[in-house]
Amino acid sequence: MRVAFVGKGGAGKSSIAGTFARLLARRGEQVLAIDTDPMPGLAFALGIDHSDSGIPDAALEEQVVDERKTYRLRPGLTAEEAVQRYSAVGPDGVRFLQLGKARGVRGENARSHQAFQHVVKGIPDAGWSIVGDLPGGTRQPFFGWGNFARTLVVVVERTPASLLSGRRLARLAGTGNISRVLAVANKTTGRHDADLVEERTGLPVIGAVPFDPSVSDGDRVGEALLDHDSNAPAVTAVDDLVSRLLQEEEHA
Amino acid sequence: MKVAVVGKGGSGKTTTSAVLARTFARTGMKTLALDCDTNPNLGLSLGFGEEATEALIGVREAVDAGEEEHAGSVAELIDRFGVDGPDGVRLAVVSAIENPEPGCPCCGISPERLLAQMEDVEGVVVADFEAGIGTIMRMGDEPLDVVVIVAEPTAKSLEVARRSADLVNQHQLGRVLVAANRLRDDDDLARVRAALPGLEVVAIPDEPAIALAERQGDAPLDSAPDAAGVRAMVALSERVMAPASPGG
Repeated sequence: MRVAFVGKGGAGKSSIAGTFARLLARRGEQVLAIDTDPMPGLAFALGIDHSDSGIPDAALEEQVVDERKTYRLRPGLTAEEAVQRYSAVGPDGVRFLQLGKARGVRGENARSHQAFQHVVKGIPDAGWSIVGDLPGGTRQPFFGWGNFARTLVVVVERTPASLLSGRRLARLAGTGNISRVLAVANKTTGRHDADLVEERTGLPVIGAVPFDPSVSDGDRVGEALLDHDSNAPAVTAVDDLVSRLLQEEEHA
Repeated sequence: MKVAVVGKGGSGKTTTSAVLARTFARTGMKTLALDCDTNPNLGLSLGFGEEATEALIGVREAVDAGEEEHAGSVAELIDRFGVDGPDGVRLAVVSAIENPEPGCPCCGISPERLLAQMEDVEGVVVADFEAGIGTIMRMGDEPLDVVVIVAEPTAKSLEVARRSADLVNQHQLGRVLVAANRLRDDDDLARVRAALPGLEVVAIPDEPAIALAERQGDAPLDSAPDAAGVRAMVALSERVMAPASPGG
């Protein structure tokens, strides 16, 4: 499975993506979770220490193509080996890589962006699932950071701002390798919320995650939702989402 | 004066920006609100309504699609792609939405460059930045006057706030003011202070009226002007204009 979660900031992308990755791993999938946001949202949601878990400069080699400096993985280092070696291993065996890390200086991000592209391109389909968390705006998805994904899940809550963002992100269908764009209604308080998301974004709603105080309580103490309350209603809803997407993959 | 509002997505940046901008305008200052977010929703929080907010984005998209002339200067951009709204705040959407090609001043995939080009600002500019630290990371050394960091008392939000404050101080971008948002109790305030030692903090209580306004797409200043959370944001505007009082 290759899925990326997007949505307006605060809509719950990272919490859902992190919980999703762990629940997918519990079903026996080898999962690589990737965060392209320079901020550690996904690491928190996975229950992983957010210290460095990126591809180090030493794993890269500079090359000049058409007079432009570019970077590729060091010869002899495959994408899979890079993942095995440099990712952090978190609860439930999820492997975690943070890419596009903030280095403080303009331009420096080219290196980590290219490392990222090489890794996600080189990871074999067989045996690996990739779950990604893209930053809030539409900048990254439209700039190719979401190219690893075949399924894009837009996380939407029922505020006008989030619904508007969802509608804009729906236009990502057909870019990169994305073959379908789906929506998840988050923080719902009734069936009507999911209907509203479907109606306003024009996207098929594949799941609804209920409003659940466990999520914000966990956030406050810095614990992953699954570690804070594994029986929370939101966990059950994300587990349903895992089932739905797995079923759809089988039919596809 | 240039004021930037930054923070984690969903921490309340846009709501804070809107209350600040309208409060400045009410004191008679010429106020320009810049929506620098690639998900531009500042119009909703300012009280422009959904239709006008989408119309502004529509103009930007028309430029991207080549159906509308590009603006040749920053002044022209604000003139042509902005509208006046409640309390006389002028709002301009300056983030390009889909067009990834950098080009002229109006194709601002780079709001940070645009802000740098605005010299001799008359009155106040309130810039609602994109979620996260991307924009301040790219700011280089173009000074702002005040950077308002909106932080919730959650681990994730405080981590974004901490890194933002580090970058602002490292590049001497401006004075940092922390808006500690959605505080439920003293423990929450203590969490913020502990994570951001030495920074000037303004406390904003958790406010159901603001959450309700967000759900309805209203400006909190219109729907709940007397709610404690809204009053705290109004008080924040006074602190932005007041001289620094470190550790306060």
